[in-house]
Amino acid sequence: MNLRPLLLALTLPALALAAAGCAQPECTIPHYDTAECRVIAENELARADVDEVEVAFRDPQGVSPLPWDPLGLVLADADGRVRARVATLGDLRLALTSAATAPRTLSLDLDNVDPSATLRIGDAVVSAPSDPPRLRRSLTVDVAAGDSLELRATSPCPEIHHLAFVGDIQTNPLQFERILTRLGEDAIDLAAAGEPILGLVIVGDLTEWSYDHEFVRFREILDRAPVPVAVTAGNHDIFLTKQASYNLTLGPGNYAFTACRTRIALLDSGSAQIARSVEGRLGELFDRQGADFLIVGTHYPPFFGLSGDGWTREDQAQVILAEFALAQGDLIVAGHTHALIDHPEVRVGSARVREIVVGTGGADQGLGVARFGYLRLRVADRLEPCFVEVPPPGFAGPAHEPLSAALPYCDGGS
Amino acid sequence: MALLAGSGTLATGGAIIGAIAALIGADRRALPDRLRPSTVGLDYSTGSALRLDERHPGSLNLNFAPNYFFPNGAGRLRLLGHVGGLLGQQTDVDPRPQYDQPITGQEGTAPVVLRERRLSVGLAADIAVALPYPILRSSARLGAAELRWRPEVQFRRHTLDGVVVERTMFLPLTVGVRWHLSPRQRFTLYVGPRFDFTAQAPLGERLDRGGPNIGAFYGEAWYDIDVPITDPARSRVIVTGQINLGYVHSRFDGRGINIYGAYGFAGSIHGGWQMRVRPRGSPIAGQFGVGGWLGNGFSAVLNAGVVLPDPGAKR
Repeated sequence: MNLRPLLLALTLPALALAAAGCAQPECTIPHYDTAECRVIAENELARADVDEVEVAFRDPQGVSPLPWDPLGLVLADADGRVRARVATLGDLRLALTSAATAPRTLSLDLDNVDPSATLRIGDAVVSAPSDPPRLRRSLTVDVAAGDSLELRATSPCPEIHHLAFVGDIQTNPLQFERILTRLGEDAIDLAAAGEPILGLVIVGDLTEWSYDHEFVRFREILDRAPVPVAVTAGNHDIFLTKQASYNLTLGPGNYAFTACRTRIALLDSGSAQIARSVEGRLGELFDRQGADFLIVGTHYPPFFGLSGDGWTREDQAQVILAEFALAQGDLIVAGHTHALIDHPEVRVGSARVREIVVGTGGADQGLGVARFGYLRLRVADRLEPCFVEVPPPGFAGPAHEPLSAALPYCDGGS
Repeated sequence: MALLAGSGTLATGGAIIGAIAALIGADRRALPDRLRPSTVGLDYSTGSALRLDERHPGSLNLNFAPNYFFPNGAGRLRLLGHVGGLLGQQTDVDPRPQYDQPITGQEGTAPVVLRERRLSVGLAADIAVALPYPILRSSARLGAAELRWRPEVQFRRHTLDGVVVERTMFLPLTVGVRWHLSPRQRFTLYVGPRFDFTAQAPLGERLDRGGPNIGAFYGEAWYDIDVPITDPARSRVIVTGQINLGYVHSRFDGRGINIYGAYGFAGSIHGGWQMRVRPRGSPIAGQFGVGGWLGNGFSAVLNAGVVLPDPGAKR
């Protein structure tokens, strides 16, 4: 009897058990193309110790029990200047806690802040001009020895306002700049009408290959954005295993915030899955905290229909849909598919969930006429989505076929 | 596209193995007791890699696959199914650095954030009929072929913290073709549309069920080759082996192969080695196997089962 096949068969499980090895904490050996490592990075980068003063983002609603929250990116220059990028739309809260035995003065650049926001330290309004760049506030803050301060920004919240969404820029930042130009024009017009655009949410694929120079270029473009911008990562933003490029440039990918009447939860699905720890926090992230509307933004569409290009973990995609339905959410906005697709009635139990894919930020849409532009949501008694088409150079107007009655062009054209 | 790529890769792998078998003279006449799925069996799959204070138990399934063979070798009907799930509760921790205090009963500082129990049930009926030779004349070079139809339903229930999510994949129109490449080698391909149902409820409440969504195309490709271990003419115990390679174009169970930035396109690959042990003349045989799934990590699979006589089968 030939026993060699049997020996081979027994060797395989032994090798598998050996490969399992010893248990270590998550991300002991970092691989930032895995979702859980980016969870650690986004939280670590939301605080920094600068000259014995801790600078950390906190939940402006005061609901989170954590000592700090992944709602921004805090980096310190070599000369001690603090650059804090606010990741959210709406209000912000930055805590400064001194462990020093002498007073400290911090120079602070706050990026991505609504120009109409009022800054306060305690009850005192802080004068911090927003120009230039338009979304930056620069200020110095004196922190007494052992003292704790809170810097807050609050933005006006008119009853009716707008939110903008787009995804998938990749190789075409020039087209994305055209979209921002159009967004800026719309922001001026709508603000004059008393319905301002609160901000833009980008649902991933900001770069093509996750290279530093691509992220630098993207940050430069964002510095000129007409409204604050919240982002999450796409698969094209997390290619580099050994460097958390996305988080080091833009901050968190998994976070939730309230923009006036809307709770927006963003999920980092760049790895075609979310971190298991984030899956365990979906209930918390989808808690609308009293907001009238709940929107979830994620790069990979949880419902991907007939496309074979979906989630590596389809179970997570369906759990997201289920949790969203339980939270009675209003809209899922996604990217990844380079097109504008409206799924008005995704069935989740007896519920109907609406998902709009807006991968129209400039990335290659293949053969046929490209449809570029952004999704605009009018937040009123209900969410009223429409699409602003920003055609590439050479087209005089909307270049594509008419849209539906449920998702029309914003300017009323067809 | 990914289905074509995965199936093509699998076919290439099969062709290489088949060529090697032919070169070493192992591709000969058909074995008298070819391996098929056990009538009843158990399979165990290892869990994913461990992390501190997490539990990633493996899964255990009870499988069944009785056959009814049609007269005159016209084909067969196989009932396929399994009942099983995770062997206990899977736990995952929240690794956020804000949690830096020791936790009673744990080695690390990260609190458990996700607890999951998972029930897995599947049922399918696989009907295989020989291609209608002599309408399509048999070729000694091409080998025989079969047409298949396999309606199937797969069901997973995830009991999470405070929430139950039930996922059902319904595959009513999965059709297949099997090509007998040689007396000992086969290539099988299944494709079909997919319908997904999702139901959910807070823990302890009645599940909210509803209608289906159309899902992505489903597919499978399998290659297998028989390997004789003992000489059927001389041994008192006949042992036959089989190498299986498979590609499953579905990520329903979270198994998918990501290559660089191409996330979420491909399904998983399976490789395995099966052995059937039958005392000469016995109507009952034992069957054992080892293999693994590659996709979103690696999972080793061990299985053992019993092969009972099938109605209509030739002895």
